[in-house]
Amino acid sequence: MAESQTSPVIDRRSFVADGLRVVGAVGLAGFAGFLAGRRGAAGEMVWQIDPGKCIACGNCATHCVLDESAVKCVHSFPMCGYCELCTGYFEPNPIALDTGAENQLCPTGAIQRQLIEEPYHEYTIVESLCIGCGKCVKGCSAFGNGSLYLQVRHDRCKNCNECQIAVACPSNAFVRVPASHPYLLKHRKLSG
Amino acid sequence: MIVLAVIAAIVVAAMVVLHRDMSGRRGSGLPETFDYSLAEVKRIDPALIHYRQTGEIAVDFQELRAVCVGTGDRIYVAGDKGVEVFEPPGTKLQQFPLDGEPRCLAVAGGDHAFPGRVYLGMKSRVEVVDAAGKRVAAWEDLGPKAILTSIAVADHDVFVADAGNRIVLRYDPDGKLVGRIGQRDPDKQLRGFVIPSPYFDLALTADGLLRVVNPGSHRIEAFTMDGHLETWWGQPGEAVERFCGCCNPTHLAVLPDGRFVTSEKGIPRVKIYSADGQFLGVVAGPDTLAPNETILEETRPDHRLPVFDIAADSRGRVLVLDPLVRKVRIFESAQGSGSAMGRAGQQAASSASPVNLQGSNRPNSGE
Repeated sequence: MAESQTSPVIDRRSFVADGLRVVGAVGLAGFAGFLAGRRGAAGEMVWQIDPGKCIACGNCATHCVLDESAVKCVHSFPMCGYCELCTGYFEPNPIALDTGAENQLCPTGAIQRQLIEEPYHEYTIVESLCIGCGKCVKGCSAFGNGSLYLQVRHDRCKNCNECQIAVACPSNAFVRVPASHPYLLKHRKLSG
Repeated sequence: MIVLAVIAAIVVAAMVVLHRDMSGRRGSGLPETFDYSLAEVKRIDPALIHYRQTGEIAVDFQELRAVCVGTGDRIYVAGDKGVEVFEPPGTKLQQFPLDGEPRCLAVAGGDHAFPGRVYLGMKSRVEVVDAAGKRVAAWEDLGPKAILTSIAVADHDVFVADAGNRIVLRYDPDGKLVGRIGQRDPDKQLRGFVIPSPYFDLALTADGLLRVVNPGSHRIEAFTMDGHLETWWGQPGEAVERFCGCCNPTHLAVLPDGRFVTSEKGIPRVKIYSADGQFLGVVAGPDTLAPNETILEETRPDHRLPVFDIAADSRGRVLVLDPLVRKVRIFESAQGSGSAMGRAGQQAASSASPVNLQGSNRPNSGE
């Protein structure tokens, strides 16, 4: 005896209702995904150097996984004294106050010196030459206003989960900061 | 065979891991040319140190900013939001509070229009208090750019150094501006005061000239009270007879016999020069002022070495305001009288420093 096969009857009302349920569920899932994605972007963190903790030890130059360190010297111009005898640019006892290589403190020649108005000079970092050794940072801090300092440049940093410089940093100057504000810049003007 | 290869691979991997400096304790590994050290330039020949510390006065302020000496060798210290006054040998006489933070101060002598008055440089204005500490005047505010760093009082004038505007202002005792000294004038080959950081000191000397530190030029300039540049002395350099770094000296004081006392930052040195600018000797160097050697090469703003203000009393003693230990440290010549020290210093200087540090604005001076 064979059973008779009967297919379910789908009327128009139930078809529309089911369709609305599916569309609603898909929309809700999409909205939740959008919110989750936004939250994820806002919560992304990157590595940066806290200038208040950095001691310019030189490890940044050699411990980065990149061939050329992602750490570079940056210059806070509002803090700079535009010195004729910049101790971040010149050797402690320069032969002359000119751009001769023998007078320069930076071993890679990564600082450009330009006369603005006698006797004031502007000093600019050439990032393609800077290896982030921090020698100029020490020179500037020893006598001047501390306007030269180190920062992780995010146009090249791989943002490693375990940053090798952070591991090797003796002063715990490597910190995680929001990707939306990836730099810890010095802003203090000359005020004493 | 395979087992041996695996063991060898494990050994090699272990050696690589162990050899690697994960914590950075072995340093950067950069060549010597990347090192920065002031060890050589901070060394001072002990034979050049002619002073020794003979006393100290503890100050209650947390932040010490300026010291000066008034009538009767009373010592005035500005700090926090007030002034402390001490009588020799260090008895605290009084302390008076202020509304703001004083950065510099000077006390009017007996020949001044208002003897005993204390002129205080706040950030952008001068406040005046009487000998009891009661405020008697507040002069015009010089605007947001002004940073007042030093005051000197003459019989009928008050000179105020404004580092922010790179100018010395001359006032009468009532606070009326009567002159401006040291303005930049390229047409007259005057490049003005070069002040990269907020240290800009001045002092009056018995010859009636106003001595102003031009730190970015590494020299002491002498002006008439009308503002005419008469002469100058000083040279840049790390050698002990010169002024080190980008911008030094930070402070200046005058001894009773006309010799000068200077204080430098970076390599902290307090030194003595003759009235015409010849290096005579050292009062205190880095070993005395900053015994912790690493502080000289510190990059962290809150760890860096403070700057030491100085003053001189009528006995020729040099007072050094030490914010590190929050004391006024008193130094006296280790060779007896000041003149004896001066002669000894002259001899030392003549052997140590053949450099002529002097100049003037006269034609053919070689400036």
